[in-house]
Amino acid sequence: MLAAEVKTDAVDTGAAGQPRPGAAPLLQVCGLTKKYGNNIALNNADLAFYPGRVHVLFGENGSGKSTFISMVAGANQPTSGYLVIDDHKGPFRSVNEARSFGVRAVFQEFSLVPQLTVAQNLVLGEEPVGSFGLLSSEEARRRAQALIDDMGFDLSPDATVGELTRGKQQMVEIGKALQHVPRLLILDEPTASLSEHDARALFKLVKRLKEKGVAIIYITHRMHEIAELGDEVSILRDGRLIGTVPASTGHDDLIELMTGRALSEIYPPLNEQLGDVKLAIKGLSLAPAPGVPTVSGIDLEVRAGEIVGIAGLVGCGKSELGQACFGLRRITKGEILVDGKLLRASHPADAIKAGVWYSPADRKNDGLALGRPAGENMSLSGLTWGEIAGQLLKPRKEKSLLGKLSGSVAFPVPRLGESAGSFSGGNQQKVLLAKGLAQDATVYIFDEPTVGVDMGARPAIYRYMADLLKAGAAILLISSDLSELFGLSHRLLVMNEGRINSEFSRDEFDEHHVLDKFF
Amino acid sequence: MTTAQTTEVIDQQHTGSMSVLDLIVTYRQALVLPCLFILALVGFSIGAPGFFTLDNLLNVARQSVYLMIVSLGQLVVLIVGGLDLSVGVIAALTSVVSALVMAALYAAFPEAPWMVVILGILVGVTIGATVGLVNGFGSAILRIPPFMMTLGMSSVIFGLTLFISGGVPIYGIPPEFGEAFGFGHLFGIPVPTIVAILLILAVYILLEWTRFGRHVYAVGGNVRAAQLSGVRTERVIIKAFIIAGVFAAITGLLLTARLDTGETNIGTSLPLESIAACVIAGVSLAGGTGRTFNVVIGTILIILVQNGLNLMQVGAYASTMTIGAILVFAMALSRK
Repeated sequence: MLAAEVKTDAVDTGAAGQPRPGAAPLLQVCGLTKKYGNNIALNNADLAFYPGRVHVLFGENGSGKSTFISMVAGANQPTSGYLVIDDHKGPFRSVNEARSFGVRAVFQEFSLVPQLTVAQNLVLGEEPVGSFGLLSSEEARRRAQALIDDMGFDLSPDATVGELTRGKQQMVEIGKALQHVPRLLILDEPTASLSEHDARALFKLVKRLKEKGVAIIYITHRMHEIAELGDEVSILRDGRLIGTVPASTGHDDLIELMTGRALSEIYPPLNEQLGDVKLAIKGLSLAPAPGVPTVSGIDLEVRAGEIVGIAGLVGCGKSELGQACFGLRRITKGEILVDGKLLRASHPADAIKAGVWYSPADRKNDGLALGRPAGENMSLSGLTWGEIAGQLLKPRKEKSLLGKLSGSVAFPVPRLGESAGSFSGGNQQKVLLAKGLAQDATVYIFDEPTVGVDMGARPAIYRYMADLLKAGAAILLISSDLSELFGLSHRLLVMNEGRINSEFSRDEFDEHHVLDKFF
Repeated sequence: MTTAQTTEVIDQQHTGSMSVLDLIVTYRQALVLPCLFILALVGFSIGAPGFFTLDNLLNVARQSVYLMIVSLGQLVVLIVGGLDLSVGVIAALTSVVSALVMAALYAAFPEAPWMVVILGILVGVTIGATVGLVNGFGSAILRIPPFMMTLGMSSVIFGLTLFISGGVPIYGIPPEFGEAFGFGHLFGIPVPTIVAILLILAVYILLEWTRFGRHVYAVGGNVRAAQLSGVRTERVIIKAFIIAGVFAAITGLLLTARLDTGETNIGTSLPLESIAACVIAGVSLAGGTGRTFNVVIGTILIILVQNGLNLMQVGAYASTMTIGAILVFAMALSRK
């Protein structure tokens, strides 16, 4: 049934698309559908999960993965469709109901109390009681330590959760789910913020749980994890289950299944002619900021027509580096040259004037005034530096500028008057990117330019970057999406703990080698 | 109402699944102002003798002027994401100090009343601008929440006003001041009304036609996004507070001209009423939205209600209660 949509030969077209006839599934999902108004987040998904199998869900942001697992975990109720587990047939009405069947989920949003210690968080809700009915903190510590040892994580039970790194918090969250061995464990991108060492520990843990017969739903964007951990992979795209293939399926095939198009259709050809150095960063160090490693000793150059990618974990300092070029961070040492001239920027206004544009990663908090019309957002900086600059607005000129800007990012012109908040992630991102064209700039810094943007909207964004290159701009591309970095960059720099620790040229791009440098 | 809601409405209409009730719920913010307005007009026309007469309605228009000007300043601060609770005491301080200055100068130069008046006005406007600057500095640079900043400043300035005036009215203003700005007419229109109309147009042009206006909306819409677009957000916020301060001072001056004395207690109801006028007009306390002409209508509505209740002889206490109730009601409707 679903296999009809799958083009690859590698697809196993067995019963219900599952390569495991014989064994009884632990949990079956039938016709699961979730609608939000007119939006179908998940359309009629059928899947089965077997004990002792690691089932990888693979898909873009917004493809329906999160909706799927939230319904399996009982956090969200389907519009139609049901689950079958034991003698239960129907949706889970609550997380507690899912738990009563042994279904536990570790989501990307944590449910930890930051003020409490690791041990207190791990026993939260089931605190051990000692003499006189008082809480027994020794017993809590002992239980927590046993759990941590069992998981093989590097974690102290007495640490305060709020002071831990995101990776360590992730482990506590996993620990909470494993207090009682679950029958079905859902892990939503568990390694996204783990160090290599802890990721290894997690892999071992997953393999041990698998041997114990736990069914595991594993969401990841990392190809090598699919091959290492997975038994089968289900691909979701635009709310539809595209199919289920063995985990040994090739990377490119998986990406093409995920995106529904060939790689060459997504990324524009690279610009071959590089010009002068437009952005030069020399020995740059930044003032320490809470929560991020101190960026120091950064040297890099970006030429006209070139995209230099910056990869690294969340919180490795890559965003801070981009922000420093935009007057948002205090520089303690070194210098930034734009077009050969020293950049002195204490405010984004100074940087824009010098020809730098920075597009922030968090478009909702940093990028757009969501309550204001899309057009007003686009032209805001142009009112000071662009062709429409002036104390008084120039409605006619502004209208023609907005038409031009919309065209260059493929944004629908008739909808310019609607508030930015009413658009999908992709169109919001286009508004954000169009802002960069409202005035001339020579250096563009894109921080996560496609986060939360579905594959359908991405080619327009990539074409926009290619057009910038042709016009002689230099682009610094900061991204967590490796396939995007591989597809677009001329060179790739990896940052770790605030420093650039390696550089890859195009022919050296390899996911495994690059990821190794993340840690 | 915000554009976001308009969009939702349009989207839902496309689906054709919208009942009358849904429409009312979705449009409730846009409906509240005209509905209350018609309700007040009809209600008072029936219940309050002499309400629906040309004389009385002109009277309402005249009375609206003072609150109107303060509300316009409040509007700019609300759009930028702030709140100014000190508009009342700014009017009072302006009244007392400019009256003292004018009285002293008039005693010294009785032959040049117009020079005295002009200096008095300049002093008043300067006071408003200065307090606005302090409010803006505290809110934008020191990052004190505007609510606390202006609440604190209210106390400081009220104390200062009492200290200067001793709590008694200040006499000795040149009569020309009151004759011109309190009771004067130009082309048959009262001068305060002309001042208000000019300020309405000024605010409208400022908000809708200038770059500064766009920056005000952008800062209120998302201060961080505005900063990343190169907007000097602190300056925009400070300027907004200065505008509110100056507008409150202008109201203080006009009231002084009307009363012919400097008064300590002229502005007590202004903070609440100006915020109410804006909120009824659909201005969001979160910033980023608000239209000039809606606030004009909102202000007239408040004065209309006060006037009607007055004619029904329910007393000033009931009138105060009603304004508070309207504010709470409007807030309840504006929730997301």
